[in-house]
This record gives sequence, C-alpha cells and structure tokens, in this order.
Amino acid sequence: MHGEYKVPGGKLVVVDLDVREGRLAEVCLSGDFFLEPPEALDNINRGLTGLPVTAGEAELAKAVADALPAEAELFGFSPEAVAVVVRRALA
Amino acid sequence: MSEGVRTQWRDYDWELIHEPPRQPLLHMALDAVITDEVGAGLRRPTLRIWEWAAPAVVIGRFQSLKNEVDPQGLQRYGIQLTRRVSGGGAMFIEPGNSITYSLSVPQALVAGMSFQASYEFLDSWVIKALHDLGIKAWYQPLNDISSEGGKIGGAAQARRGGAVLHHVTMSYDIDADKMVQVLRIGREKLSDKGTSSAKKRVDPLRTQTGLSREAIIERMLQTFASMCRVSPGTLGEATLHEAERQVREKFARPEWMNLVP
Repeated sequence: MHGEYKVPGGKLVVVDLDVREGRLAEVCLSGDFFLEPPEALDNINRGLTGLPVTAGEAELAKAVADALPAEAELFGFSPEAVAVVVRRALA
Repeated sequence: MSEGVRTQWRDYDWELIHEPPRQPLLHMALDAVITDEVGAGLRRPTLRIWEWAAPAVVIGRFQSLKNEVDPQGLQRYGIQLTRRVSGGGAMFIEPGNSITYSLSVPQALVAGMSFQASYEFLDSWVIKALHDLGIKAWYQPLNDISSEGGKIGGAAQARRGGAVLHHVTMSYDIDADKMVQVLRIGREKLSDKGTSSAKKRVDPLRTQTGLSREAIIERMLQTFASMCRVSPGTLGEATLHEAERQVREKFARPEWMNLVP
C-alpha cells in the first residue's frame, strides 16, 4: 500500500507499507523532508510497525513521537503528517 | 536549534574551492568529507563551487529510489544516479546547466537559529547577488530560492558533528522534457505549488539574466567576498583520497542507493 501527503507549507511525505494479520508491516517512510539525525528514519518505521490498522491519526502520531530520539529534529513534516500519510495508505 | 554563542561571517577566514569538473559521486563524498574536516577544525569554513563532469540525478537522503527515479530514463541518456547526505528533493543536473555550491560552516555560525532561519541566513548573500544581477529573487520557505518567473533553486542542509553542510543547486538552464523522463514528479508534490506541471515550475537563470553561467558565478563570488575574508584553497590529496574511499565504500554502493528503496 502506498500513500502520499504534501504537508501544507512543508514537504512531501510518502509511505509504503503492508498489512499482516491486521497490523502494519514493512513500513517504509520516505519523502523530500529533512530529519536530524538521519538515522531517526528507522525509529519512525519501527515505531509504526505492528500497530493495528484500526489505529487513528492521534494514535499513529503518538507512536511516531514516542519512537523519535529526544534530540531528533523534523523540518517540513511532523508526527501528525506521518499519521495522515499512513491513514491515506490504508484508506 | 543549536545553542551557544553565535559567530558571524566576518569572524572567519573563508576558503573558496572551485576546481575543474568532478564526477557526481565524488561530489557527494566531498561534501561529507569537507564538512567533517570543518567540524573537526581541520579546514577553514569553506565555500565550494561545483563543476559537474557528467549528467546526474541526485536524490535526497530520505527519498524512495523507485518513487523518484525512472531507471529507463537514466539509461536512455546515460545519467549517473546518486544519493546525497542531506534531505530534500531530487534534482536533474547536466554539466553547465546548473550552479551548485556548498557551504561547510561551523555550527556556531547558525547557533540559536531555527532550521528555517538558518536556511535563509546562509543564502542571504546569494539573494543579494541575484538582486545585483537584476533578478527579483527571494527566499521561499522552506528551502527554495524563487523569483517572479518561478523557482530558481533549492537548498538542503545536513548537520554533521560541529559543522553544517548547506548546499544549493540553482538552475542555469534546463531541458525540462528530459527532466520529466528521468524524474517522477507526482501530482501530490505539486498540490500546493499553484502549478500542475513540474516543467512550468522552474525559470532558469539563463533566460532571466542573459548572462553566461561563469559571469553569474563571478558576481556571486564578489558578493561573498564583500561580506567576509575569503581566499582560494585546494582540496588536497588527503581530502581527495578520503572522498574516493567513501565513494567506493558508500556512495557508489547499492546499499546506499537503496537505503530507502
């Protein structure tokens, strides 16, 4: 499954993912956003993996925020934007 | 945001590196190596003007290879595929049709600034140079240099230890028909840009100024030199060897290209 979301005034956020037994799998976030440190992309993907497909935007956004290291900085997107694109992929 | 005491452009003796054309993969590595040298205090803060030895597609650190690039288009035109260390969007470069530069600066120069403020600050001299050339250019958040005719260029940053890499590609000329054959530019990306076509988005410097690429670079360097002390430097053998090693062990490898498949 594939979703795209252009953050208003921000960057493009894209997600490719599978669903296995009702849960998110093989989550691969991409886009032309900026993220420091760059390795935090793996944290986001891991933080979403295993969540139920019924998870709403608030739950998805919280999972992303919780998965990020304390020093992470996002520019052009946000945990909420990631939640939007995941819901789009699942729709 | 970075903390600490903020320095200014004129607090440093800047190094200018403007050497003959290099292969696209080596450019990717040179940005990393030079910025790390500046961060380690081994090199002065550096402005590097790029000359390209071959056509290239450069995708951002977080972009999906298959979503951004048309492999058949690359093959058709013999274009080198590369992934850079910074985020941001894909670009299509042909030698002589772009003006690319990198600033490798100590973190202290942007201490306390938001990312947004630091992008605008590090390109303020370029906006001034464009004004001097008669172009009504401005900084378009988050990371574009824009003009009345359309987008001129885009910036990207990567924070590496004690230094910031800020690099920019401006379009001098563009083969838009070829660009849309090598890059996949989706409708969603353009959804808030006020245009439905990637081909119409860019207005290159050649048509806006009527000047040669070299003349524009010359003017940019004059503007930079009016802001701070700057003198020519060289890459040096050690830097070149380290960059070549990183090309072999990282930038040319499928693992790096497929980092985000």
